[in-house]
Amino acid sequence: MPAPPRLGYPDLGLGIGLRSPHFRHILQEWPAVDWFEVISENFLDSQGRPRYVLEQVAERYPVVMHGVSLSIGSTDPLDLDYLKKLASLARQTKASWVSDHLCWTGVAGRNTHDLLPIPLNEETLAHVVERLRVVQDVLERPFVLENPSSYVTFADSTMPEWEFLTRVAEEADCGLLLDVNNVYVSSVNHDFDPVEYIERVPHDRIVQFHLAGHTNCGTHCIDTHDGPVIDPVWGLYARARQLTGGVSTLLEWDASIPEFAVVHAEVQKARAHFEVVNDDKETRRQGGQEKQEGLCADSPCLPVFLSPGLAPIGKSSRAAVSNPVAFLVADAK
Amino acid sequence: MSEPRHTLDEVQRWMQVVITHPAGPAAGIESREAVQQIAVGPSQVERVIARSRALTSLERLDIYYRAYYARLLDCLREEYSVLATSLGTVLFDSFAVGYLQAHPSQSYTLGRLGETFPEFLAETRPAPESGDADWPEFMIDLARLERVVNEVFDGPGVENMPTLDAARLQAIPPESWPRARLVTAPCLRLVQLRFPINEYFTAAARNETSPVPQPAETYLAVTRRDYRVKRIPLAAAQFRLLNALIAGVTIAAAIAEAAAVSPLPDAEFASQLRAWFQAWTTEGFFVDVT
Repeated sequence: MPAPPRLGYPDLGLGIGLRSPHFRHILQEWPAVDWFEVISENFLDSQGRPRYVLEQVAERYPVVMHGVSLSIGSTDPLDLDYLKKLASLARQTKASWVSDHLCWTGVAGRNTHDLLPIPLNEETLAHVVERLRVVQDVLERPFVLENPSSYVTFADSTMPEWEFLTRVAEEADCGLLLDVNNVYVSSVNHDFDPVEYIERVPHDRIVQFHLAGHTNCGTHCIDTHDGPVIDPVWGLYARARQLTGGVSTLLEWDASIPEFAVVHAEVQKARAHFEVVNDDKETRRQGGQEKQEGLCADSPCLPVFLSPGLAPIGKSSRAAVSNPVAFLVADAK
Repeated sequence: MSEPRHTLDEVQRWMQVVITHPAGPAAGIESREAVQQIAVGPSQVERVIARSRALTSLERLDIYYRAYYARLLDCLREEYSVLATSLGTVLFDSFAVGYLQAHPSQSYTLGRLGETFPEFLAETRPAPESGDADWPEFMIDLARLERVVNEVFDGPGVENMPTLDAARLQAIPPESWPRARLVTAPCLRLVQLRFPINEYFTAAARNETSPVPQPAETYLAVTRRDYRVKRIPLAAAQFRLLNALIAGVTIAAAIAEAAAVSPLPDAEFASQLRAWFQAWTTEGFFVDVT
């Protein structure tokens, strides 16, 4: 029997990433949010207030667990203790699904806490598929894999990322989390057409969308999650929504986090794109607009990072810093 | 179909060395560790990393290099915010960069990134110019306290378990005291410090200024109630008593240890003991008696 669309996972509506600056507001107001996504690693070992907040939230809202340390592409062995903790937390929070990124985070026992890309070829495809099957066996549910933002490509790559993701999803029988902002960021960084990417990934395997702001540094974009979603990304979102028929949508905001109401209002903007049936040419024009113009006006590069003992600043050092990991700040120490 | 020139393992080990090298990716590419994996020079790096229309391969690697240190330094600054404020960002970062090189993360969670930072500061501190405690020791004290506060904040607590009340403690018959042991709360931690930093710590956490105190051996209990961390100053005898109870010795033996360092006459010490246990049960220091 063919797998149901989106592996049977429901459309949860419009969600927000659960972040510690909003804990107090959420516990006091119980805002009308469709669902929350949590960074798995921030709660796996917590026995304090973060875990308490998550338990309270999970009693009232659907929760999705989104990880940053699975390291599915690494050549290090999978961390089975970590996977068992993921499975346990997923059971306890009744997580709707569990996701992480197509990346590696470290090797030789180390974790760089970055989402590093892998060469896209037959060898790495087999490697990722094999490991995803193990992950799904331990979690006892289909896993959901996200396309990351990336800043390098490899001489050893032999296929585009959309093709790699498509084959991984089909061979491992997993779901996809299509981060529309990441498609845009990587398209600028790697000179590909983001609309083609959106159109070529397998739409019936897309379980969730991610939206976020980024920083355009002129020569490249950085996935900073520190501001509103820009119009070209909304244009890609509208196209992806049209192609999928609509799936769970989540806004990420991980740096310079504003008041909850601002984040909530930002994700609500997605509604404006629910009914838009875009003309293909218009979508393509919107998706490519920022690339042609070079810079987005509302996301200047962050100040140059300087620290003793580090190398002098080079051309690309004006880059803002990607911030895929929301480090949990103790909000009531 | 052409075979990849490098295995995935070679590429990953090479890239990890390159983007985490403290002197930057060009130096990383030329390092012995990187060359052992893939022997290319900075001018040949396009054999591994493709360039884009706008950036060279080296410039693209530089993005990851910048992000690696910036992200982890940001985490350490948040975890040790009092210490970072006290040292200033430049000095704090210089210690933190050294720490990240000596102790790169090996955990899935950033919550453990800074767990040995106080020990690193202690091991690498400059030798004191005189026999007295000096500013490095003050900073090490701050780091130790900050780490304990963070561990208590997110560690096991007593929010979902009953604590021992004073009535139950007083109900222990005197003849049972030589054998009775108190089970302390899992969130109760004791800190022995070379500086009286409690008030300074409170002020710094609120972004207020406070004078650096003169050195003096001090003791704090750090605990948690209703998910809020509390710091409670202790006298030396209180510290000895609680330290012994946490170690699992009998109540009588713990009291004997405390009495040995108490300057009070026996009758006064006994009176103090009652007041201490009354206060500590109110604070939820104990969860059971065995």
